[in-house]
Amino acid sequence: MDDFLIGATQIFTFSTLVYMFAGSIAGIVAAAIPGFTVTMAIVLTLPLTFAMEPLQGIAVMLSVYVGGYTGGLISAALLGIPGTPSSVATTFDAYPMARNGEPGRALSIGVWASFFGTIISTVVLIFAAPPLALFAVKLGPWEYFSLIVFALTIVGSLVGSSVVRGMLAGLVGLLISTVGTDPILGRARFDFDIEMLQTGFPFLVVLIGIFAISQLVSEVEDAKNIRSGNSLVTGAIDFQTWKVFKEVLMRPVNLLRSSILGVLIGALPGAGGSIANLLAYDQAKRASKYPERFGKGETDGIVASEAGNSATAGGGLIPLIGLGIPGSAVDAILMASLMVHGISVGPRLILDHGDLVYGMFIAMAVASLMMLIVSVFSMRLFLRITQVPKWAIVPVVMTCCVVGAFALNNRVTDLYLLIIIGIAGYAMRALGYSLAPLVLGVILGPIAETNLRRALMTDADLSLFISRPISLIFLVAAVLSIAWAIRSHLKNSKTTKRTSNESAS
Amino acid sequence: MSNSTHDKVLEAGEIARLLSYFIILIASVGLFFAAYNIPTSRFETLGAGAFPQIVCAVIGLLTMFAIVDSLRKISYLGYGRFYTEVKAWMHRRYLVFITLGALALYILVIPIIGFSIASMIFIFTVQVILMPRTTKSIVIAFITALVFSFGLNWLFAEVFTVFLPRGVF
Repeated sequence: MDDFLIGATQIFTFSTLVYMFAGSIAGIVAAAIPGFTVTMAIVLTLPLTFAMEPLQGIAVMLSVYVGGYTGGLISAALLGIPGTPSSVATTFDAYPMARNGEPGRALSIGVWASFFGTIISTVVLIFAAPPLALFAVKLGPWEYFSLIVFALTIVGSLVGSSVVRGMLAGLVGLLISTVGTDPILGRARFDFDIEMLQTGFPFLVVLIGIFAISQLVSEVEDAKNIRSGNSLVTGAIDFQTWKVFKEVLMRPVNLLRSSILGVLIGALPGAGGSIANLLAYDQAKRASKYPERFGKGETDGIVASEAGNSATAGGGLIPLIGLGIPGSAVDAILMASLMVHGISVGPRLILDHGDLVYGMFIAMAVASLMMLIVSVFSMRLFLRITQVPKWAIVPVVMTCCVVGAFALNNRVTDLYLLIIIGIAGYAMRALGYSLAPLVLGVILGPIAETNLRRALMTDADLSLFISRPISLIFLVAAVLSIAWAIRSHLKNSKTTKRTSNESAS
Repeated sequence: MSNSTHDKVLEAGEIARLLSYFIILIASVGLFFAAYNIPTSRFETLGAGAFPQIVCAVIGLLTMFAIVDSLRKISYLGYGRFYTEVKAWMHRRYLVFITLGALALYILVIPIIGFSIASMIFIFTVQVILMPRTTKSIVIAFITALVFSFGLNWLFAEVFTVFLPRGVF
């Protein structure tokens, strides 16, 4: 309880609230701009938070995160283009509704659904994370190593088009994390006498290179598209805020189901909002009495998609707080920001820094409230943001990336790394490697290695990894996730082969 | 007809992937042996080189599997067409290469001419290359370039006390 109050007093200070407010606006604005993702926004916020208190910095980043999930809604509803991958299903119904002359209602439904989704997921987080942490404190290095193996296999097999390339990306991430000094004895590794490599790859630089630079560059792939502008829905917009509030609350089953689904998917490593919105939409359609209305502007469709994607924000924090394992790239960035402040993330986080964890819970709730206020009062302004053309955004954000990469250590050599990683990241993206496993590999690498070596220092017996029951469960789960992925991969390739044969004959 | 061009593009992509598997394989083998020379310690079973070696070994196995899988997908004729397909691909995405080249150049000149001037030139030039050129858009580009170069430099120096490179002048 004390921790709760300390956390609350830290959040409810004037400066923190102002920063969080700015974060909410930044998140909504960033996600509303097509081609600018939530992840990119959070990566770029990180260097700005170095000078802040740890909780203040985290609170700001959570505001960007929560705001970002809502911002994707604006371009999804008005242009039919998902601003972020998490709002793909939102376009199915919000866009037709906007086309039918109710753009304001479509936006309001999405905002309210996002708000309730975030609140529900925060409640689940508050109840789920502490018991998980209490359980996790008892885990030894064996269990931890197996858990990370499991996390990486599931990320590799869930994300992207190819299991093998997903796994390879994760392993390459692990390998990148071994460059520099080793985590136990501090011996130099793989520096090849190049000064730039002696301290290893700074995590933030890898993140900016992988997620921002390569993404930005892929935005200019299509020369024709970038040179034309998209026009918005025109005419008067009526948001009907309170009428829609009741309308959304009248669908408690859909709201709860989509949010819980979002929480569960968010808690799984690797799966995030981009999967949750589609699954929640699908489930809502199956459960609906009028499935034929879906895709033509059905309220339930928007509610499901937006509640589902917003709920993953709280869900993703469950393994981060409970186990010290980030569930997604965004959670990895949050973890990195804590580490920059010298706070080690793991199950002991809630015991040693309870005020910080409770502060995070409060910040989630406050952030969703701010998102709501910002959206309701200034939605009209944000409509203009979706008109910002890509040609103006790309070079400007690149400059921000350069500043962000430089600000961490004030080293010009980090900038050289940035361009190398950016080019490599774009090449991998173009070749169909998914980049999320790579980033998780980089952050999980040192944790995996430390635990493996600690386990073997305690007892040189390798069989302990399979004779300790919890460790065995994780390893079996890892094998199962690979097997399942290979099976569905084979199934897919069979059906595509069959259809291509049919079309040929 | 369009279907077969599509197939050719897919096949070229698969060859490019095959090349990437080979590069990763060679790198992992090289690093595996490089890790062999990292001195071990008397105090633990696994030395500092063991974990990288394990990772390299798994990467090696996985890439060999991927190489076999990908060789089966590529027809004999595909290799001959590879060069032309890659050239066509690069031609379609010429803006990507221009942007990346500009970014690399920008980063290289920052320490020499300083952040503000370099950013100003970079933002303005890339925007002009990417935009549909009208008087209005050029004016907008000029203003954004000014704000995000000198303005950003000022913001970071005054508010966040981060001093961006000033150049040699």
